[in-house]
Amino acid sequence: MTASIFLNGLQYLGYILIFPGFLFCFLCGMLLTGIDRKLVARMQKRVGPPILQPFYDFFKLCGKETIVPAAASRTTFLMAPLVGLAALVVIQLFIPIRGFSAFSGMADIIVILYLLLIPALAAILGAAASGSPYAGVGLSREMVTIIACELPLVLVLLAIAKTVGNAMGTGLCFSLSEIARYQVENGSLITKLSMIPAAVAFAMVIPGETGSHPFDTAEAETEICEGMHAEYSGAPLAVFKLSHAVKVLTMTSLFVALFFGGVGTGITAIDGVIVFALCVVATALFISFVHAVTARLKIEQVFKYYWTVVSGLALISLVLAWYGL
Amino acid sequence: MIQFNYICSFFLIVLGFYTIVTKYNLVKTVIGMSVMDYGVNLLIISIGYNPGGTAPIFTAGELTRASYFVDPIPQALTLTSIVIGACVTAMSMSLVIRMHESYGTLDTREIRRLRG
Amino acid sequence: MNFANMTDYHHFPIYAIMVLFLGAFIIAASGGKPSKNPNNPAGFRAWIALIATAASLCFLIALIRPVMLGGEVIAYWMGSRGISGGYAIGIALEVDALSLFFALLIATAVFVSAVYSIRYMVHDDCVPQYYVLYCLLAGGVLGLVLSGDIFNMFVMVEILTFAAVALTAFRTKVYGALEAAFKYLVVGCMGSTAILTGVIMLYAQYHTLNLAQLASLIPGTMNNATKLAFAFLYIGFSTKAFIVPFHPLAADAHGAAPASISVLISGVLTKSGIYGIMRLTYFLFQTMGLGRMQFMLVFIGSVSMFVCVTMALAQHDFKRLLAYHSISQIGYVLAAYHAMNHTLFKGLLFLAAGAVLHETGTTDLGKLGGLSKKMPHTTVLFLIGAFSISGVPPFNGFASKWMIYQASYQKAVDTGNIGFLLVTVIALVTSTLTLASFVKVSQSVFFGQLPKEYENVKEVPFGMRLAMGILAALCVVTGLFPKSVTALLTEPAAKAAANVGSYITSMGFKTSLPAVEVSFVEAGVWEPINWLLILCIALLAVTIVAVAGKYDRVSETTSENVETKYQLFYGGEENVYSQVGGGDLFWGFKHNWRHYFDFMHKLHSGVVNDYALWAVVALALAIVYMMIAL
Repeated sequence: MTASIFLNGLQYLGYILIFPGFLFCFLCGMLLTGIDRKLVARMQKRVGPPILQPFYDFFKLCGKETIVPAAASRTTFLMAPLVGLAALVVIQLFIPIRGFSAFSGMADIIVILYLLLIPALAAILGAAASGSPYAGVGLSREMVTIIACELPLVLVLLAIAKTVGNAMGTGLCFSLSEIARYQVENGSLITKLSMIPAAVAFAMVIPGETGSHPFDTAEAETEICEGMHAEYSGAPLAVFKLSHAVKVLTMTSLFVALFFGGVGTGITAIDGVIVFALCVVATALFISFVHAVTARLKIEQVFKYYWTVVSGLALISLVLAWYGL
Repeated sequence: MIQFNYICSFFLIVLGFYTIVTKYNLVKTVIGMSVMDYGVNLLIISIGYNPGGTAPIFTAGELTRASYFVDPIPQALTLTSIVIGACVTAMSMSLVIRMHESYGTLDTREIRRLRG
Repeated sequence: MNFANMTDYHHFPIYAIMVLFLGAFIIAASGGKPSKNPNNPAGFRAWIALIATAASLCFLIALIRPVMLGGEVIAYWMGSRGISGGYAIGIALEVDALSLFFALLIATAVFVSAVYSIRYMVHDDCVPQYYVLYCLLAGGVLGLVLSGDIFNMFVMVEILTFAAVALTAFRTKVYGALEAAFKYLVVGCMGSTAILTGVIMLYAQYHTLNLAQLASLIPGTMNNATKLAFAFLYIGFSTKAFIVPFHPLAADAHGAAPASISVLISGVLTKSGIYGIMRLTYFLFQTMGLGRMQFMLVFIGSVSMFVCVTMALAQHDFKRLLAYHSISQIGYVLAAYHAMNHTLFKGLLFLAAGAVLHETGTTDLGKLGGLSKKMPHTTVLFLIGAFSISGVPPFNGFASKWMIYQASYQKAVDTGNIGFLLVTVIALVTSTLTLASFVKVSQSVFFGQLPKEYENVKEVPFGMRLAMGILAALCVVTGLFPKSVTALLTEPAAKAAANVGSYITSMGFKTSLPAVEVSFVEAGVWEPINWLLILCIALLAVTIVAVAGKYDRVSETTSENVETKYQLFYGGEENVYSQVGGGDLFWGFKHNWRHYFDFMHKLHSGVVNDYALWAVVALALAIVYMMIAL
């Protein structure tokens, strides 16, 4: 009895630390950003950095001196990156990978929606604690971007809840493991007509949530010196960079889990590779390609775009789902 | 003719509302609140009225099944309501005096530091 | 009367009310001379108020076992004059789980705020009188929720309105305090008149004032007069709850009143209004087309939510901003059981605002900044409150909002009513907007740069931190154990609200209403404890790796004469004071909504006539809706 509890505990610890937790997030997230940077460079006819460049950057930053400005609130300033990273890893644990799900029975899509706020909030509080006016402008823009992305995300998630709930006979379903089970039985959600606009809307939300072009107003290097990260240096900055990488992974794998779920092979390692491959495709399409062909928007344009075009698409999907298409 | 009382009381209540909404003088606003109160008091007392009933004051021996008197409860309620109405007037007048001291006017259109 | 009889728990409700009024009386009788102690100008009177509120809370806690867990409805006839000839001739206190739920909230808020007041009110004059009004207000609200007599409810409403108006105007020197009190008095008085009119029209129909008897008589005998009565009562209690369109009054009153009173206005007065509306809707008039009624409440709740959260985004004053949020959250309360958490986190936030005001003398967002270095504890407590109200997991706001989303969307699916779907969306978006405005507050007040004039600001005294700490602890605990809280408090209250039949019979009246079984179905899953456990392990892992990787190899300086590398980066410009904050922080959002904000700004004109007009229009609309739709 004690031994089995111990083994269970060890298993869960393994989930948290290795797969699909830390190590997986670290490696895959960094790899995704590396691929993204390479792709963007190739699309712009540059050679671009090696794919492992994010790793090099990370370890280099860790070796640098960490400077806390005299005006900053030390504890908040230093803790914020760590909390943000930990929260992102936890979200990753809840997202089902094909048939395999470490903890997905413990949270639903509404919880995920709110958990996604925590990393952003941590970054915002860290920026606020630094006392820098650049960070002040940056956090203001970050918050507006969050508001902008929230409406389409809500509509998409409600549409999914309705569609899956219809098929399950419960009317609505918020549970992630149920959604995964539905896709195992009935095929991916993307094959439903009503879900196509939702998938497009969600794909458009990905660059906004991860803060990449053209929605990177919050850290516009050329105007406000990376905004929220203006005062960060050394290891905390490295953690922020890592958080960004993990967020790319989280958003793309959430996209894959919600719309491209389905039957797994039963072997977790292979499933992981399949999901990662799909994530790479999603990143290439929705982050790298969009990055390469667009220029940065102004913050009020970001807001307007999300609340009109993207929300409109999500709304179409919700209406279709409402009438059972 | 008890309906006339009802009509009158609602007329008074609405008149009170009208005064509060349209008059820009603080004292008139307070008057409006009083008028509103009188309307309600009239309504309460009319509801308890039984035509031909006597005052509800009896000793134990006199009270029989056939005793016919006006309902005493609304009268008690009216008394409470009148007291409360007097309190409202006193309180609002004291506020009006203090406001006149600090704003130098009784015009509601100028007493709007807090808005938005 | 022997002693054993006096300690019977059936007497506890009246004791809980009486100790407060008795406290008010003793304080008033002891005269208004301030004591010489500079840390407590009210002297022993403050302790009397504290003891009275604590005693009241204890009496109510003792009632949890029989009422919440045992499901008993306590019927207490004053002077043992009960029912005679089928009619209630006595005045009754009736305590069921719903009453007790609200009473516990109120007593907790009142007690915590009393603890806070002792050190908070040191700069004021006439502090003894403050405690008189304080106890009156507390007694009035408690009397309202425990009363079983609808006219007594009206009397208690008047007592609490007077006390609240007087306390709003208490700091007469504060910008706009008199004005706020007067507006509140005028519209509040219109509300009270509406309640009295409604009460008397019910009396005319049913010749009784007892709630249980009314609830047993009304079903099946509805006519236009009762509908009219309902419209009047509904509007009357809405003015007490400050829901749309009465929200500007709350903003004014909160801004002007001392912070300890703002806690009561938001955590206690609004709840009394909500309690009144619930009693009316689910008790007295439960047969009048409940679906339509619920739809109206939920509709008004959503409007309150959205209008007030956007108004809050446009505010420049800390307390006004909190006031609008308070009403925005009341929208959630109307839609579902969010009441308890609202009292906790809202109280905490107002106390934090009070702490800032106490130390700096201002609540203007444009003037403050960087206080987290000077007031670290207040900052942490404020952040807990802010996370709770914004619904960030795992704090209590999230747990209750999460249930609201589930419930409203389930309702939308079950009834096919697209309106409820809209409610879910509005509730979710409002939550993010709430977060945005608290980011604004934390950036403008606690973070960013410290203005020169606040260099000598200190942390607030222990008594005030203690009060905030109690509320913060409750916020965290109720967030982590939502299931236990639901089982202990909210579920009995919800069942009591639906179970009118047992309420009526336990008061000694007959009813044909069947007992209703309430069940809670959840469409999603959320296990905060496990989540927190995982987060802690993850955080621990990150921290260990970070420390091993010399994350804390931090060089910083605290000397006045800082090296260049410890100064903020200004892109080569001269280092100047430049705090980003105040009202325009979310310019990108407000720009897109500028027409809406302009319109709202014009609408909230601050003229008392306009607010009175809104009240009249609301009354008219309510009457029309009741007559047509029900």
